[in-house]
This record gives sequence, structure tokens and C-alpha cells, in this order.
Amino acid sequence: MRTYELMFVVDPRIADEEVVTMTQEYKQMISAGGSEITQEEQWGRRKLAYPIEKLNEGKYVLLFISSQDGKTALHEVEHRMRQNDKILRYLTVRTDEDLKRAARLARPEGAGGSSSSGNEAGEPADLADEDEEV
Amino acid sequence: MARSRKVFFRRRKVCKFCADKIDYVDYKDVKLLQQFVPERSKILPRRISGTCARHQRLLQQAIKRARHLALLPFTTD
Repeated sequence: MRTYELMFVVDPRIADEEVVTMTQEYKQMISAGGSEITQEEQWGRRKLAYPIEKLNEGKYVLLFISSQDGKTALHEVEHRMRQNDKILRYLTVRTDEDLKRAARLARPEGAGGSSSSGNEAGEPADLADEDEEV
Repeated sequence: MARSRKVFFRRRKVCKFCADKIDYVDYKDVKLLQQFVPERSKILPRRISGTCARHQRLLQQAIKRARHLALLPFTTD
């Protein structure tokens, strides 16, 4: 199974309702392509880190997608987004491999992990040692 | 007589991601990523942050993704 995240930034002058309908459209395309939307997040209006097309804000939408057989309509969706000038930016990331690897890394460390948490408190003690050689 | 050994105290650098057990560096986690892009918005080198090689690589990727979506700046002037 493959999972993806699709995030896009919409022109802030577009009304929220229209953002929703736009999102709906893309979701339909994705569903029609044989994958499902597992989660959706509307971040709403957010300040951009740098101006895009002289705009300082954008509306962020995030979709989590999962596909059983690896077939998706994402290519098409990206194509449509590129042509839609209300969309300032989009990014699709495949996440299943990274998340799986992260889970694998997390497991072995779980056994001996409790001992490493005390290093923050131990540091100031090193400073005090310097005075002892008189 | 006291030896005049230079009293350098260097804080031991620990990879933040290893310490906090973050194995997946998320490009959406702007608060986390911001700690690794100082004023000029350049990616903080490993030699300064102490991040281990694996996590620096993941971090770098995440920062670049965040930049594309204007979650992080490329530069500040």
C-alpha cells in the first residue's frame, strides 16, 4: 500500500466555499483514480514565508491519500493544478516508505531508550570539576 | 601551583532528533524546522547543530519541501 500527502496553497482572494469545492473536485479525481482520501486538513489562511505572485498569504489544504495497488490519478491532479492559476503551490509526497523506515528505527530503540534522557541535567556538573586542582 | 590549563567548556552536542526520537522529519512541522534555519534562513550545518548525518539528511529534505510551499523562507533580506 502506498500513502501520499498532497498539499496545495490557494490564492487567498478565493472564498473559502470555493476552496472547498475545488478540493472536492480534486478529491473526486483521486477517488475516481482508485485511491482513497484518508484524511483532509484545511489549514486556512496562513502567511507565506515569501511573496508568491505578489501575494503575502495563502490558504493551505492538505490531503492524505492511500492507494492499495499503487495506481493513482495524482499525475493528472498535478497536471490540473499546474494549469489552475488559483493554486500558487502544490506538493505531492509519497510517505509510506519513510514512515515505515521511521517505525523500524523507533522499535529497537524502545528497549534501552529510558537511560538516555538524563544528559541535560548532567552537564552543569562538568563545570564545577575545574576548581579542584589547586 | 595551579596549572594554567585553558578552561574551555564545550557543551556536548547531541543530535536533537536522536534525543527526541524523531524518526520522521515532517516538512509540515514548521516550528521544529525553524530551529534549524537561523536568521539568514540558511540550513544550519551539522557542525554547529550537532545533528547526526542521517537526521541532517532528513532535515534537509524537509526544509526544502517546506520552502517550496512557502512555509519557510529561502532567504531573508
